[in-house]
Amino acid sequence: MIRPTPTQKTQWEQEGYLVFENAIQGDQLKRLQSVFDYWAAECKEEWLDRVEAGEAAATFYDIPSPLEKDPIFIDLIDHPSYYGALMEFTDDDLILLGPQVRTVAPWPVSYTGWHPDVGQSNPLHIKVQIYVNDVPAGSGEFGFVPRSHKPNSGPYKRPLLQESMPGHKTFPGKAGTAIMFNSCGWHTSMDNASDVPRKSIILIYEKRTPGRIGPEQFAAISEYCTTPERRKLFSLAD
Amino acid sequence: MPSIDAHVHVFTKVSPEFPREVTSICPAEREEPAEKLLGVMEKHQIDQAVLVQIGGASIEHHSYLLHCLKSYPDRFLGIGLVPHDHPQPAEHMAELADGTGIIGFRLFELGGPRDIFATKDVQEFKTYPIWKCAAEKDYVLWLYPRSIDAHLLPYLVQAFPQVRVVLNHLGMTPGKGKFTLDELGRPQIQVSGYNLNMHTTYRMARFENVTVHLSGQYAFSREAYPYQNLAGWHGNLLNDFGIKRLMWATDFPWILEEPGYGELTTIIEKLLPNLSESELADIMGGNAKRFLRFPNRNA
Repeated sequence: MIRPTPTQKTQWEQEGYLVFENAIQGDQLKRLQSVFDYWAAECKEEWLDRVEAGEAAATFYDIPSPLEKDPIFIDLIDHPSYYGALMEFTDDDLILLGPQVRTVAPWPVSYTGWHPDVGQSNPLHIKVQIYVNDVPAGSGEFGFVPRSHKPNSGPYKRPLLQESMPGHKTFPGKAGTAIMFNSCGWHTSMDNASDVPRKSIILIYEKRTPGRIGPEQFAAISEYCTTPERRKLFSLAD
Repeated sequence: MPSIDAHVHVFTKVSPEFPREVTSICPAEREEPAEKLLGVMEKHQIDQAVLVQIGGASIEHHSYLLHCLKSYPDRFLGIGLVPHDHPQPAEHMAELADGTGIIGFRLFELGGPRDIFATKDVQEFKTYPIWKCAAEKDYVLWLYPRSIDAHLLPYLVQAFPQVRVVLNHLGMTPGKGKFTLDELGRPQIQVSGYNLNMHTTYRMARFENVTVHLSGQYAFSREAYPYQNLAGWHGNLLNDFGIKRLMWATDFPWILEEPGYGELTTIIEKLLPNLSESELADIMGGNAKRFLRFPNRNA
């Protein structure tokens, strides 16, 4: 397990984010892109039907139950590029809440405004966003307000224009880049003025609290979780 | 500052003078005339209202609406309808709006590609001529789009930034097959617990000519008045659109029996309890007067 460096630990504490360039690379990245595209295409019509029925948002969609569709998605959960940092920051008591394998349509406005996911009273809540395709500036890249995860920061208010958020930083990146951030911090997807959908995978973790995730949540992939560490990560029974 | 009910419907029994379509929500013998509306408005100190056409989109179907606007010119403004696939929508719109008190038109469809990922050319959208006419004639567009059309909205608003837009009923976009009538004959719209419009219509907040109705709560909530489970939606709309772009409305007559017109005149202060007096006055009528350009009421 690759633990974060002192510099990374300091940045995480002070800034609330870390960037892992080339976290996924080579053949694994190619296979991830291929699997992502296959399942995104397979699931698109059903999503459009759900949009029409008012059961799904019209500006992005997630591949349903991705962990059950291909084991490459499972391998991302404890990927060595960032798993050590996740464990370090949660005192080796990490659980997965869920993955979002997400395609965001090009749209004149970002599909979401600036927001934090959780409040300060929540157990440490961490997201890792992995770009599946290249995400240059202006094409829906991740945005974060450094230090906004700290209790004494802010107050913040959602601006009408994404780029008007005071103190924000944007994260254009190559395919395979992983961005880890404290979800207490204010974040968003910037506007996508290109004609290319943004493809990314958002992994959601938390420091373990009793009963947060039941053993049935990820029971369908139990056969892929053979080590004690993985079973603990997926809240599976021993 | 006047109090203005920014979205109501009035209609009479079907007659040669006032023809209209007969539907399950407006059966032939039902009538909810303007005088009945004015009665409850008087009782609850509401000064003016926006009459929204119901009962058909043809010129003759608008007879009763036009009659009401002519009879009470300082009390009402009107919103008309455009027939689906009308070959010359601009002519229809001009005929209805020319000096009549009709200030705009309601749309339920936007007429673009269903596929969110498809290349968009707004000039190919079926409603493009309606938007173009609205831009040229300064008409308001009154929108209650279907879920599948919600993604089309920013393309049109971008193309016609001068057009004033009012998103109806909390900016909701009803899903196909999710509309029913309850035992009181009121519209009921089945919605998901998570407000999906946070990712579509609420994102229109950055366009300054887009406003939203705070109305229709009864149709979306499964709770009794004051529909506290929708307080979060109201708070989000306030946060995103700001105090100057929200307009209170009752959706008369569907609310007359339950919860009652009077109750709805206090719903905003119940769902947005931290408003100042002047902010409440903006939502209860000041914004509608300014944005829709209501005339001063005669003494």
